[in-house]
Amino acid sequence: MAAEANNAKPTFLSPPQEGKKPIVSLRGITKRFPGVIALDHIDLDIYPGTVHALLGENGAGKSTLVKVLYGIYTPDEGEIIINGRPTRLTSPADAINMGIVMVSQSPQIIDTLTVAENIILGLEKYNHFVPVTKVYKTIREESKRVGIKIDPGIEVWRLSYTQKQLVEILRAILLGAKVLLLDEAITYLPIEEKQRFYKFIRRFADEGGTVVLITHKIYEAMDVADKITVLRRGKVAGHLDRKEATIEKIRALMFGERSAEITYERLPTAQPEPKTILEVKDLWVMGDFGGYAVQGVSLEVKKGEVLGIAGVAGNGQKELIQAIMRLRPVMKGRIIYNGEDITRKTTYYLRVNGVGYIPDLPAKYGVSIENSIIENIAVLPVYSRGIINWDKIRELTLKLIKEFEIKTPSPDTPVKFLSGGNIMKVLVARELTVATNLLVAYNPTRALDEATAIKVRKIIKEKVLKNKVSAIIASEDLDEIFQISDRIAVMNSGKIVGVFPADKAKREEIEHLMVM
Amino acid sequence: MFESIASFIVGVSAIFLAYYLAAVGHGLMEKSGVLNLAIDGVFTLGVAIAFAVSVYTFSVPLATFIAMIVAALFGLMLAFITTKLPISHGAAGLSTMFLGYGLAALVGLPARQLQINGRSLATIQPSLGGTWIWFYVVAFVVAIGIWYLVEKTKIGAAIRAAGENPASAEALGVNVLAVRLFASGVGYALIGIGAAVFELAYTQVWSQGAGMGYGWIAFAISLSAGRHPILILISAMIFAALDKYRFLIAATYNLPPDVGKMLPFVAAIAAMIIFMVTPLKRKLAPPKSLGKIYFREERTV
Ligand SMILES: Nc1ncnc2c1ncn2[C@@H]1O[C@H](COP(=O)(O)OP(=O)(O)OP(=O)(O)O)[C@@H](O)[C@H]1O
Ligand SMILES: [Mg+2]
Repeated sequence: MAAEANNAKPTFLSPPQEGKKPIVSLRGITKRFPGVIALDHIDLDIYPGTVHALLGENGAGKSTLVKVLYGIYTPDEGEIIINGRPTRLTSPADAINMGIVMVSQSPQIIDTLTVAENIILGLEKYNHFVPVTKVYKTIREESKRVGIKIDPGIEVWRLSYTQKQLVEILRAILLGAKVLLLDEAITYLPIEEKQRFYKFIRRFADEGGTVVLITHKIYEAMDVADKITVLRRGKVAGHLDRKEATIEKIRALMFGERSAEITYERLPTAQPEPKTILEVKDLWVMGDFGGYAVQGVSLEVKKGEVLGIAGVAGNGQKELIQAIMRLRPVMKGRIIYNGEDITRKTTYYLRVNGVGYIPDLPAKYGVSIENSIIENIAVLPVYSRGIINWDKIRELTLKLIKEFEIKTPSPDTPVKFLSGGNIMKVLVARELTVATNLLVAYNPTRALDEATAIKVRKIIKEKVLKNKVSAIIASEDLDEIFQISDRIAVMNSGKIVGVFPADKAKREEIEHLMVM
Repeated sequence: MFESIASFIVGVSAIFLAYYLAAVGHGLMEKSGVLNLAIDGVFTLGVAIAFAVSVYTFSVPLATFIAMIVAALFGLMLAFITTKLPISHGAAGLSTMFLGYGLAALVGLPARQLQINGRSLATIQPSLGGTWIWFYVVAFVVAIGIWYLVEKTKIGAAIRAAGENPASAEALGVNVLAVRLFASGVGYALIGIGAAVFELAYTQVWSQGAGMGYGWIAFAISLSAGRHPILILISAMIFAALDKYRFLIAATYNLPPDVGKMLPFVAAIAAMIIFMVTPLKRKLAPPKSLGKIYFREERTV
């Protein structure tokens, strides 16, 4: 029956692989949400033994598509055909039974449960009343095989982001996944883990597994994928085979005209003024689990310059940024902002004095997802002291929605209904507006598509050049660091291990210092 | 103050067990994320049912069984409507509470009439033949059983997952509805048994409104012990003692009787503070999604 469906409309699908039948086919899949058509009659064939990249700008429908495949959303129209059979997936448990497992950008595993408890929840072969310790052995064995060190009895809140993602992937393997759906799951892993995982994905596919890979890193997709499907505004913009895929073709499909704006050239170097806006002196800050995450860091940001902080995730950047924002206690050392010692001052003080802040994990710490876009903007102390002028805020919100091309049915839509990248855009747009003196950011273009990421960098640089705003930007993305920074500081194991003028810095040297 | 330790232990055994079962059942249900504001109504109904069935059939086991079944049905209903529909847990719980009060009067009054006309009521006497020992044994066995179930088994992990983050739990392969039905059904079954013990072993009388307010005390006991099956033993004991002896305490220290009535609640707050300053607080923290409407098609970032 599926074969018939296949023969019926093969025209615009990429040619099937030699003799193989698709493991998953979508026919006319449509999913509407109030005010948007997230998926508009999607046709797609996914073949076993392939890595199939799913690309598209923010809000294109990528996450919605994999959530349909994982049984989280039920499509309004269309048919899902698995192994040649039309199948209804009404819950993730259904999908897991069919060998389909999703890993998303934000770990789904639950903090208060142990690793083993999280994993056993999806394992059908264990009945409900078995003790969880029954899976310990399997977990230990399998994790050794994949090359992950993990204690099955540890509670998840003790794990770092990277470790959580590793557990998610381990879980997928233990569930016997035949189709792995990776929704930006590896995008934010440190370089080394990332490479390990790309290797793992390749091997998994070569052994007959199937991977659907969502990423905004187009080069990575081109490297690892056998097939590429580009979504645009809920429709398939095109299917490409590895051989025919070029970066230009992909970008054109993804962004249309906007693709012409994409460039990784260094943005113009700023001419900073002599005045120091931010100074950090011999700073010591604790990490989450005891021990110093920041160990004697000193640095300076001049008026009208961008200081980029390069480093592999987990080397103290997060704690440094939080300490500067007064969100983490300083054990020793001083922070001086605008000539004033702020070591004992509050975040509020910074927020009403021209500091914008883009935190790590934006959906958790940057916006309140239950509230609307307007409310998320009005909440900043610069707007909400005394009586809120809602007319003004609405005007500002509408302006930001337009400027940042935030895809939303209305400014009153709760943020949780936006796509991952569009949530980030709300945060970035708001913070760039309030950063009239200093921007403090950690991965400011996280989750943004290429075109938007570059646009955000351009806006930041323009503010630095024109309005003499200063910025300290920590990022795990070296392309970003090189494109936007005027000076680059490299952070490793809680220390600054080198500072370079960006126009003279050598990439190899910086990469070396990062992993040294 | 007490005639002797022994008579104290025997004296509080019935109310202790009643409180314990209701509190632990309540805690089990809430662990799965369903806010339980119906407890007092269903407890009151359970008391009336136990009384009525005992009057009609003169059978303690049958009275307990029917109270348990009816309560469990209420638990299933609450879990179903709060998980399947985007309905506020508070509204569903409170309406059910009033429904419980109303039904309790409806069920209890005819039986009371029969009793006035001379029909007698089957009861259990804790002090007779060492029955009270069994009350403690039951409490401890249930405590260990529920603790093991919640903390050590797969379904326990599923219950906690559903209470922490139902959307993530679902993505991990949990059937949130099924798990909440299970936790609430079993939880309310325990509440129903607790109500029967309250009526048949503790008060042994019935008038309209009997049991009202005791459900809330069970609620407070569970809350003060962080819904932990073992710690609830301690809280339940404190509350049982205060309930049994509050007037005695008030009289001994020459306190107004209203202060006596307040004592259990002061104890609840004190217990809560004590538990929360210990390293146990992570285990005892309320489920993150307790009472939150869970609508499956909604995004979790
Ligand atoms: N649960 C939901 N309720 C309402 N609207 C939704 C919901 N989920 C997604 N949408 C909308 O559907 C569209 C597609 O969203 P989706 O998350 O699939 O985008 P995406 O391609 O993953 O984007 P990104 O790269 O930003 O993650 C968006 O316009 C989004 O606002
Ligand atoms: Mg997405």
